[in-house]
Amino acid sequence: MSATRVSLTDWLRGSAVYRSIVRHGTADTNRNRSLVIFENLFLHVHPVKVREKTLRFSHTYWLGGVTLVSSLVLIATGILLMFYYHPSVPQAYRDMKELNYVVDNGLFLRNLHRWAAHLMVFAAFLHMLRVFYHRAYRPPRQFNWVIGVVLLIVTLFLSYTGYLLPWDQLAFWGVSVGTNMAKEAPLVGEKIRFLLLGGNVVSENALLRFYVLHCVVLPVAFLLFLSVHIWRVRKDGGVQGPPSDTNDPRGEEAP
Amino acid sequence: MSATPELHAVESTDPLAVPRRVALVRPDTRPAVRRIEERYVMTFPHLIVREVILFQVVVIALSLVAVFFDAPLEGIANPIETPNPAKAPWYFLGLQELLHYFPPIVAGVLLPALVVLSLAVIPYARINLTAGPLWSRGGKSTALALAAVTAALFILFGAFGCWPIAVPTLLTAGAMFAARGGATGGRLRRALARVTLPEWIMTWFVVIATLLTVIGTFFRGPGWTLVWPWSGTI
Amino acid sequence: MPLRRLFAASSVLFLLVLAISPAKNALRSYRSLQRQYRKLGSSRAHSLKAAQSYQARPVAIRQIWLRDFDNRVDRCETCHLGVADPLMAGAPGPFALHPGTPHTPEAFDRFGCTSCHGGQGLATTQADAHGTAADAGPPMTPPAFIEAGCGRCHLAENVTGAAVLSRGRALIARAGCYACHAVRGQDTFRSEAPPLATLPLKTGGEWLKRWLKDPKSIDPNATMPNFHLTDQAIDELSHFLFAAQVPKELAGLIEAAAAEPPGSSANGKKLVSESRCITCHTVEGKGNGSAPELSKIASTSSRGWLLAFLREPQAFNPRTPMPRYHFSETESRDVVAYLEDEFRDFDAPKGILEPLRVNQSLAENGRKLFRLYGCFSCHDPAGSASEKFGPELDGIGDKRAQSLDFGRRTDLVRTLPAWLAAKLESPRSFADGLKMPSYGFSADDSRAVVTALLALGAQSVPERYRYAPPQKPALLPGGPVGSLIQSYRCLSCHQIGDRGTDVSTAPLTYEGSKVKRDWLVDYLMLSYTLRPILEERMPVLKMPREDATQLADALQNFYVDPAIPADPFAGHPASDADPVEGQRLYVGLGCRGCHILGSSGGYYGPPLTEAGKRLKPGWTYAWLKGPQRWRADVRCPDYGLSDTDALRLTAYLETLQAAAPAAKAASVARGAK
Repeated sequence: MSATRVSLTDWLRGSAVYRSIVRHGTADTNRNRSLVIFENLFLHVHPVKVREKTLRFSHTYWLGGVTLVSSLVLIATGILLMFYYHPSVPQAYRDMKELNYVVDNGLFLRNLHRWAAHLMVFAAFLHMLRVFYHRAYRPPRQFNWVIGVVLLIVTLFLSYTGYLLPWDQLAFWGVSVGTNMAKEAPLVGEKIRFLLLGGNVVSENALLRFYVLHCVVLPVAFLLFLSVHIWRVRKDGGVQGPPSDTNDPRGEEAP
Repeated sequence: MSATPELHAVESTDPLAVPRRVALVRPDTRPAVRRIEERYVMTFPHLIVREVILFQVVVIALSLVAVFFDAPLEGIANPIETPNPAKAPWYFLGLQELLHYFPPIVAGVLLPALVVLSLAVIPYARINLTAGPLWSRGGKSTALALAAVTAALFILFGAFGCWPIAVPTLLTAGAMFAARGGATGGRLRRALARVTLPEWIMTWFVVIATLLTVIGTFFRGPGWTLVWPWSGTI
Repeated sequence: MPLRRLFAASSVLFLLVLAISPAKNALRSYRSLQRQYRKLGSSRAHSLKAAQSYQARPVAIRQIWLRDFDNRVDRCETCHLGVADPLMAGAPGPFALHPGTPHTPEAFDRFGCTSCHGGQGLATTQADAHGTAADAGPPMTPPAFIEAGCGRCHLAENVTGAAVLSRGRALIARAGCYACHAVRGQDTFRSEAPPLATLPLKTGGEWLKRWLKDPKSIDPNATMPNFHLTDQAIDELSHFLFAAQVPKELAGLIEAAAAEPPGSSANGKKLVSESRCITCHTVEGKGNGSAPELSKIASTSSRGWLLAFLREPQAFNPRTPMPRYHFSETESRDVVAYLEDEFRDFDAPKGILEPLRVNQSLAENGRKLFRLYGCFSCHDPAGSASEKFGPELDGIGDKRAQSLDFGRRTDLVRTLPAWLAAKLESPRSFADGLKMPSYGFSADDSRAVVTALLALGAQSVPERYRYAPPQKPALLPGGPVGSLIQSYRCLSCHQIGDRGTDVSTAPLTYEGSKVKRDWLVDYLMLSYTLRPILEERMPVLKMPREDATQLADALQNFYVDPAIPADPFAGHPASDADPVEGQRLYVGLGCRGCHILGSSGGYYGPPLTEAGKRLKPGWTYAWLKGPQRWRADVRCPDYGLSDTDALRLTAYLETLQAAAPAAKAASVARGAK
């Protein structure tokens, strides 16, 4: 029984198709383990070896990771939700009800999207605080900190634009309150609000604009900045943990 | 790169490396110059497995929440029926709470812009790179300056009746003074004594932001009056 | 290696957690209900084929798409599977057949479920559909108020088959709610409450204070609600009301009447019993109750005022339903003499009708109170601005419980019906400073009123589903005839077109096609009882002959219905008009069971002894062809008579010309008891 299974695995791994896809052997040697990383588009953002210290929980608390995972969950559930959603009045609200009552797992999907969004905003805040208290913004990472701030703002806007889409009372009034704040900016405030809402009040135009921002413009911006953010972490030698000795401004372990 | 007294000599600590390497560094330059021999591990599987576990744990947690708690959905948007209070999403409730104390242009534009700007310039401000513990130099002048700034802020925010900012300002200042000379005290005081000025400022900001958000989320009822979260009128 | 074990554990947990939602989805309760329904259906089915068709029903969400109602969708049938299935009569749980109503089972596809029941049609879980879960949308209308659903489309006050709703609407109109609260279609509502200008000459300070304290305790028929005024407020209001300037000519009338010599109480007694006052008023609780109780009237109003009012009621209150009786000067003195003798409160203190000596500063406070409590809404509607005193009621039936202000009433269930019922029962209990008075509705009345209020929805019912009964043109001529109809207040009891009330069973809309002129003139001058079992009978208005002829002629000329033939026999062979055959039919059909003829017969229907003198043959014929067409709730059976039979019966009834002075005298005597 077990012999058959082993041979089946071996046969699979030996097949031409498998070998054409995974071009290295079982990852049981350091050579092959290295190949796993740099033969893979997605993994090769990592170096082949990492400092053991960075794997410790207290090094980063994995907060950037949590933010990233929530954003992946959001992209996955968001794409599925787009299949059921019409950015029009009153169909948008009706679609929420259909998700609740008719679509299989629709409510779960929506819940997951909603809670993941909250988690992402929250984790991003914590991530920023962690980086600050670990003083991980120091050279050469200054600009990556700025990109992080931009990512935080994009995340807030993603969450905010998504807030309107269900077109319920919460959404409508939440967005009305928010955009009324934008109005107060001198000179351009009214214009920005008009541009954002496609009118002077929250209406179907605003819904369409928020939808396009939420599903296209902001995610694309987010992914662009995210790529740069992660790429720079890699370039600057991996994640930066706490300074080794906070008493000594020089005491900083090298990456 | 003129020679200043702040330059420090850093030596390689590897006893086997001959000759020894010595470097002169300024405190604000990249720390990468000091190389410590470290253990390295293979990214695969050590990091990758951890990342997958992280992914799974986050998804598990989110799914459990999603199974047991439904996302809120109220009646269809109705421009005629204004809910009282009309609240923004939670991460903007700190701002909305500010709106209660300050004119809209201050709370809605000035303060948020100031916060974003301050965040963005953090890595470029020298103090963030060089600051040592607040009281590292004993510092009578530090104490004076701190007292003056605290008093000014307290009076400013107090004048607007904005106690959720004024009171934490006072408390933070209190903690800062408590840290003075703490290097010889207990563990907590020793930890406080190590905190730098930028860290004190950030802590002050975080406490205020959290407090404002919590008040805005849970303690505001019809007409933005103070209510208890359990009074059930939200 | 712990990491490996952690990885294994998290992977297993990951898969398990992701399976929860699909599992939950597969176990949704409607699926098991539909499987139960299959079993139930196939066990109840009469044939194998029917049983198989139950078994073959797919498990699926079922819905009714209501194109006309905003494209609404009702999914109630997903669980309520048997609503339109006759096999499911008396079936358990959610599967039962819907009880028969005028719209079911045929019209499910037109109206769906939520049109009548409320609730959330889109939902597929019980809690959300019925609205019992928090935040789940509008809750269903509780069964006790189910007729509110009828009222969403049926806009008339009286809705056949919806007794509770109709009563609720009537109570709302009678209580005068529309005077303070705006409701669509009731803009022209005017309260019948009297203007208060003649009050200082009508009653006394003591009586007024008692009245303001609690009107219903003074007169159970009072429509005025209890404002729960403090003694001080009552005092101030009384001073304000007594400070009113009585209009000169009314004051003159009252003072002149007060100076007249007393009349004969004995004759007054006879006149009062003839006049059938209790058709509207009550005497010690007996009577219709739509007008004030009379047993203590002489301790309520001064003699002069009573006399003047009896002669010219409409001069005192242009909106009073009271007709003007044509008593002679002496007769009216006699009537009032009788009232003064017998209809007084013998326990009342002596000075109950003493006028109040006005204190100006109290009166000034009273004036403010009069405005504060919105008294003008009923008592001086002309003086109030177009703005209504109270909040608008349109859309109240769709208010969400969360948006209601329960104030201090933490004891209440947080539902709209409970809120409305509490608002009616003790409106001031919600917060301080509320002004709505209490109406003392009984539990049943309150349920009816709440039902009618719940029918005031905000959700739009499509125009073509809104059903107001066809507007019968209300032909109300101006000129002398019009003022006669006004003065005799025909519309206080009769209907003309869609105007008037249904105290009388005889609408005047087609009276000209129904009764013969000469009979009508006599009847108007001295009306007698046609239907002895009814409490409400035509009052004897003492109409002078010229008024009676003028009215009868107008009725003959204007109030005709083209569907009633002038001569039903025209175009039919003479054999059809055979009264002998008709008499045989009369006996055969058992008409005697309800109708008096000569000295025998039942009391339910009107006597037919002089049918030929009273009724036009065209009317008789049209009635016999289908009584319900003329009065929907009439008990006279529709025998489905052929033309020939109907004509023969008509011909027979036409022969019944015998005046029956004995019967007439008897009925008059009965009225006089």
